[in-house]
Amino acid sequence: MKLFGPEHERVLLSLYGDAASEFDDLLRSFSAVLEAKVLPLSLGLDQGKGDIAETRRVLFDQGLSKLSYPERYGGLALPFGVYALAMELAGAADASTAMSIGIHNTVADAIAQFGSEEQRRRLLPSLLSGEKLAAFALTEPSSGSDARSMSTRAAKDGKYFVLDGSKMFITNAGEADVYLVFASTPGGHSAFLVEGSNSGLKVGSPLREKLGMRGSHTAEVRLERCHVAAEDSLLGEEGAGFEGAKKLLDSSRVIMGMICVGIARTAYLKALAYSRSRELFGKKLSDFQLTREKLADGVIEMNASRLLCMHAARLKERGLTFASEAAQAKVLATEMSARTCDAAIQLLGGYGYTTDDVHRHWRDARLLAIGEGASEVLRLLIASRELEPKT
Amino acid sequence: MNIVVLLKNAVDEAELRADPSGHPILKGAATKMSNFDKNGVEEAVRQKEEHGGTITVLTLGGADSKKAIREAMAMGGTKGVHILAEPEAAPDSLGTAYYLAKAIKRIGEVDLVVCSEGASDTYQGQVGAMLAELLDMPFLAYAKKVEVVGGKIRCEQGFERGVRVLETKLPAVVSVLSETNVPRYPTLLQVMVASKKAIEDVQLSALKESDYPETGFEVVALTIQPVNRKRLILEGQPEEAAKKLLMALKQEGVL
Repeated sequence: MKLFGPEHERVLLSLYGDAASEFDDLLRSFSAVLEAKVLPLSLGLDQGKGDIAETRRVLFDQGLSKLSYPERYGGLALPFGVYALAMELAGAADASTAMSIGIHNTVADAIAQFGSEEQRRRLLPSLLSGEKLAAFALTEPSSGSDARSMSTRAAKDGKYFVLDGSKMFITNAGEADVYLVFASTPGGHSAFLVEGSNSGLKVGSPLREKLGMRGSHTAEVRLERCHVAAEDSLLGEEGAGFEGAKKLLDSSRVIMGMICVGIARTAYLKALAYSRSRELFGKKLSDFQLTREKLADGVIEMNASRLLCMHAARLKERGLTFASEAAQAKVLATEMSARTCDAAIQLLGGYGYTTDDVHRHWRDARLLAIGEGASEVLRLLIASRELEPKT
Repeated sequence: MNIVVLLKNAVDEAELRADPSGHPILKGAATKMSNFDKNGVEEAVRQKEEHGGTITVLTLGGADSKKAIREAMAMGGTKGVHILAEPEAAPDSLGTAYYLAKAIKRIGEVDLVVCSEGASDTYQGQVGAMLAELLDMPFLAYAKKVEVVGGKIRCEQGFERGVRVLETKLPAVVSVLSETNVPRYPTLLQVMVASKKAIEDVQLSALKESDYPETGFEVVALTIQPVNRKRLILEGQPEEAAKKLLMALKQEGVL
């Protein structure tokens, strides 16, 4: 299976013009690595027979986390849209690995955007190389979409903050070296960088009954009298954490949307290949009009989703606001992905329903219409922007 | 050590389609660096890492060969030389070896020329030997192991019941096998750096002289050997399915 296809070349050409050929080379080379070293391990990860650290290491060694960061911190200073396309390819190879790295990169993004120079120099190089792994801890057992109602507290104690509370559904929990934890402080919500080795940070049992994304580690993270040095750990201004989280999630939604495009494309290509070879009533499955409708709809929706994600990415590159476009892209891409994977299962019939290697794509895609902003909340955000008075 | 590594931007056999008469549709066919040539590039890079020097990546082919050159440069090539020849003007094996030899002579002092056992599309495996003859260099074919020590090259050739060790003074031409090494994957940073390295374009006319060999050799037909795959799904419990598989293999004459 070729992960980098003509549609990627065409998107790069239409959005980046003369620079496209360089990005083509980059993504084609990245795709070859994914095809050789990640794609073959993906089914095993879903079935609990592999270790995500192995596939994540391949992507870190390639430099996936370095793509859009400044060179002074070890980054490659490439456009955010190129990173977004790379994440689509990663999602096509293995969704769990892509999501794990996508969330890790969101923490790196937080440090790059809101960290002090000391925090950037201390943490960014090791996060961008993948020497250290990060986790993003915002959701709580009783607050997901309404993150403002979080109950985790951070109280000032001299030069320290003391964190108490619980975070839920945390990707990379138990593996991460650094956790970005959001907590209420007297001045509002604040963000803290907590070392995984902190004795006040406890990781619960892995959530093993997940529908999909079974290769990634998910667990509850509890903070019990968790002392962190204020100077080292407070990320950005005290009380500015929630606004920061919203900005981070705008970017992350584009990435999660692109991972979903990748998931959809892999399921689609499997269904396409099957429809060419399967015969019934003396014809190929692909000869039936109702099959062709599914094949056409899949391409239309994948291209539309990719383009809307890339539109949001290009707005970000230009320093323009893109919160609504990112939300639109995520809603479209995540819901499209579940539809396209469902159509793939339908085309493969009994084999689609009974084979992990087909239905896992639907199971993986299903998460991303919930995490990083549920579709319902994002629709509220999009509609509220439309209802704002226009100047 | 100055190394030249040869590569071909071959037709991607996995993407190749045939017309109704069984002839491959070469026009517009997807291409990629010949898989075997990745072993050649890897060997060149390993030798450079051990002995220092330069690697010139040399190819003869159409405009889309640039991406294969860039890939080889990302793996560790120092510079690229592209002899431009679109498929309709591409010479035969001897002609290709002639142009490559002329280009290598222009590069200057060359210690080692590395090529692979053959191209992954046509697999004629002729150019390496012809090139060695035209350069008046010894040719060490099908090397499964390559060592360069003190101005000499030593290669191991594998046979069914033994190993033959060949040794000669440099300069020499060596062809490697897919089992000789495991080609590396360049990182994204290496791909980026390679995209900024220079590739020299050379026209066929700049290399062709009066000594161009006319072979009279002509490919009169090229067809794809059809491989009919049977999609046979065996249902039932493992024991039952195993019996069905055994029977199916016997019916096919495999057992």
